[in-house]
Amino acid sequence: MDTETQEHLDRRSFLRIAGFSGASLLMGSAVLTLAEGGVGKLFEPLNQKVEELIFRPQQPVPEFPSSAIEPEALIVNSFRGNPILDPASFRLTIDGAVHNPLSLDLVSIQKLPLTSMVIRHVCVEGWAAIVQWGGVRLQDLLQLAQPKAGARYAYFESADGYYESWDLASVLHPQTLLAYEKNGAPLPIENGAPLRLASPIKLGYKQSKWVTRVTLTNQLLPRKGYWEDIGYEWYAGL
Amino acid sequence: MVETSLSPKPRPIRALQTTPAKIFHWINIISLSIMLTSGLQIYNANPVFGGRAGLHIPPIGLLGGWLAGGRHWHFASMGFFSLNLLWYGLYILVTRRWRHRYVAQNDIKALQQSQNPKRRIYAWHRIVYTSIIPILLLAIFTGIGMYKPAQFPWIVDFFGDWFALRVMHFFTVPAVILFALAHSWLALKAGGERLVNSMFWDK
Repeated sequence: MDTETQEHLDRRSFLRIAGFSGASLLMGSAVLTLAEGGVGKLFEPLNQKVEELIFRPQQPVPEFPSSAIEPEALIVNSFRGNPILDPASFRLTIDGAVHNPLSLDLVSIQKLPLTSMVIRHVCVEGWAAIVQWGGVRLQDLLQLAQPKAGARYAYFESADGYYESWDLASVLHPQTLLAYEKNGAPLPIENGAPLRLASPIKLGYKQSKWVTRVTLTNQLLPRKGYWEDIGYEWYAGL
Repeated sequence: MVETSLSPKPRPIRALQTTPAKIFHWINIISLSIMLTSGLQIYNANPVFGGRAGLHIPPIGLLGGWLAGGRHWHFASMGFFSLNLLWYGLYILVTRRWRHRYVAQNDIKALQQSQNPKRRIYAWHRIVYTSIIPILLLAIFTGIGMYKPAQFPWIVDFFGDWFALRVMHFFTVPAVILFALAHSWLALKAGGERLVNSMFWDK
């Protein structure tokens, strides 16, 4: 065998091994990526059952003193730019499975009892920030709208196209707010002004900003939420 | 040809590990590997040290592909991992294995007094494999604190704040990796391949 053939063979087997390794690496990650959806589908319902079981719907989460607020820790995450809403023409719609659909302007919302809380805002990414939120309880708003007996879910629509859905028990938790205050000041636009969801019992991606519409439903629709529809878990309870 | 040897029949080799111990060990290795590789995937969404600008773990060998996938794997494996530890805990309690299968006074005495290197290695082996149990419990305890901080705020408070809790949860990763290395080496040193095989497949 001459050197040329030898080199040729070495190169061939090297390429073959490289090809096999590359292919198995690609196949491996492809299999795991495929499995990701399956693993979620298999275990998410089970974990959700446990989460719902340990959730205490009317039990307030312990709060922090104002001195514990971490103004720099709250990172702004938006999936699209900041929509600018005119406070004068802004209306919050509450409709769907309610006896008394509402369309409220900001003045009437701010006349409702103000709830202030200093809580830990926890992001799915792993960071957390202690924040003061002030606003109106969803509980109070829904008391005005009178949910129908079969209502089990609430959909939240945002001015930037973001959408979310929650279980009604979590919506009715005493610390689930539509907030218009952050850390003692009017809510900044990048944090969701004029109205955003704020709650210590759900991960940050459940807490929609720039909320314009709350729709109660009897069923969970196939469209569950922006992040949920691309793979995040739906319940996301804390 | 008929065997007429007078020598006693070779005694069957005594099983070094019971079947429950082997089952625990297998489930623990597999579920812990999933917890570890998916946990580092989650870590990469916002590294504990330095946040988004912080040091990311190279993606090779990480499980899940992205944050949501990592979380799905992490939350799928967590039940196997913790329930496995729970039934094993009950098992060593009920069978009283905890009295003679884990590090005890005689191991400490051996390290202080024994001149027998085999006995000393064995003592170290027992110290190391006993010490992984509190680390696994710490991983579960800090993990519950991060998974359900609104339900168990006292766990976060126990460690001081959120950052301290994340650091402690993350600490269990290098701790488990170092343990796996030390444990494998000591097992081989203390009991050779026979001991190692007995934990995996020997009858």
